[in-house]
Amino acid sequence: MSAGDFRGLGPLPPWVQSSDNPSMKIDSGDTAWVLASAALVMLMTPALGFFYGGLVRRKNVLSTIMHSFFILCLISVQWVLWGYSLAFGPDKFHLIGGLEWVGLNNVGFTPNADYAPTIPHQAYMVFQMMFAVITPALISGAFAERQRFKAFVLFSLLWATFVYDPIAHWVWGAGGWLHNLGALDFAGGTVVHISSGVSALVAALVLGRRLGFGKEKVEPHDATMTVLGACLLWFGWFGFNAGSAVAAGSLATSAFVVTNTATAMAALTWMTVSWYHKRQPSVLGAAAGAVAGLVAITPASGFVNVMGAIVIGFGAGVFCYLAIQLRERIHVDDALDVWAVHGIGGTWGALATGLFATVAINSTAANGLFYGNPKQVLYQLAAIGASWAWAAGGTFVILKIVNIFVPLRVQEDEELLGLDISQHGEPAYAL
Amino acid sequence: MDATTVIAVICSAIVLAGWLVLPHSATTTVKVAAVVSEERERTPVSVSA
Repeated sequence: MSAGDFRGLGPLPPWVQSSDNPSMKIDSGDTAWVLASAALVMLMTPALGFFYGGLVRRKNVLSTIMHSFFILCLISVQWVLWGYSLAFGPDKFHLIGGLEWVGLNNVGFTPNADYAPTIPHQAYMVFQMMFAVITPALISGAFAERQRFKAFVLFSLLWATFVYDPIAHWVWGAGGWLHNLGALDFAGGTVVHISSGVSALVAALVLGRRLGFGKEKVEPHDATMTVLGACLLWFGWFGFNAGSAVAAGSLATSAFVVTNTATAMAALTWMTVSWYHKRQPSVLGAAAGAVAGLVAITPASGFVNVMGAIVIGFGAGVFCYLAIQLRERIHVDDALDVWAVHGIGGTWGALATGLFATVAINSTAANGLFYGNPKQVLYQLAAIGASWAWAAGGTFVILKIVNIFVPLRVQEDEELLGLDISQHGEPAYAL
Repeated sequence: MDATTVIAVICSAIVLAGWLVLPHSATTTVKVAAVVSEERERTPVSVSA
């Protein structure tokens, strides 16, 4: 097992520092795997665009896909300019990274001992960039079909800077307070999914419901596009989770296997629950269930065995489905159920990590409750609570500030016309 | 067999057993619009000499 074969938190957690390759020599296999994983994670953002795009009405599909595509461009630049420095730069007060790495200053090709000792520092940076890209893109599902594009641009930039970057530093940055506390998050249950899911709920509440919500049925315009998007997300998620080992070794293999297992189990469970509830096995339900499983296994993927993955997948299928029923009952128009899938799925996954983590998988991490370490549940709850609070508060403030300069919502006639035409002047289909 | 394995087996059993009691086919019927062939849809054009 190589030095970079363990990762859950930075500064390179003890389980990496104590490994057998402290010389920080670049390993070609590890580097190839992390770069390939970065490309896999990159694919997830346009895949998300297709997943969301199929779920909206045909008059809004292009604008929905544009949200993901635009964020890929926007955060790629933000990350190299200041995002990476704020998230992973030298620690300030255990809360945020410093500005020493702005513009990738001091981020070169020599491995960084704190994060990944066997790959070039820039390889780690670009891998993390793809996580920073997809996270605000996830939120876009909550305000689909009604947000003004200009407001979306401003919101995304501010959110990435003031919500994502600090939470990433707390959990993964060298010296971050949640890392120091001992909270485990292998690939982003708190950093990516709780932050985006909770922010989505706040955004849906602040923006209000779509015109006709609850009165007219809003049907997905292309279920095949959504299923294709879900499949591509599943594919890319192997880079997300197995790549988070930052090395091509046994831990990456384990993360790959549990990711696939939990995803499949969640899809089976969701489909079964919805079959029982709605009396038919929904294709879109199976796709949504798979995504819920991917979300839930994310924080646990480097710490649990395959049996734990089955339980996590089962829980994701049940809890996320119930969350959608709750969301419908309280009439919140989180258009594409980002909160139910990512917020609740991420919360369940983070909590389940504290239940099912085992040192048999990651010998230098920690056991969970079921392996004799009840304290780990408390650490996980602290990480969950902090992520919920910061994401909710930060999102609310940012939306209110953006609304001062640019109205968050399009006008009624623009919403009726559809955002493809009213915001971008282009129809999706010329059929 | 540890506790995690026991719970995993129970979860799998619940899903598998669930399939035994689920309906065989969708109870909601979806009205499918009658498919009209292009030829029938076309209005006949009479050509007079």
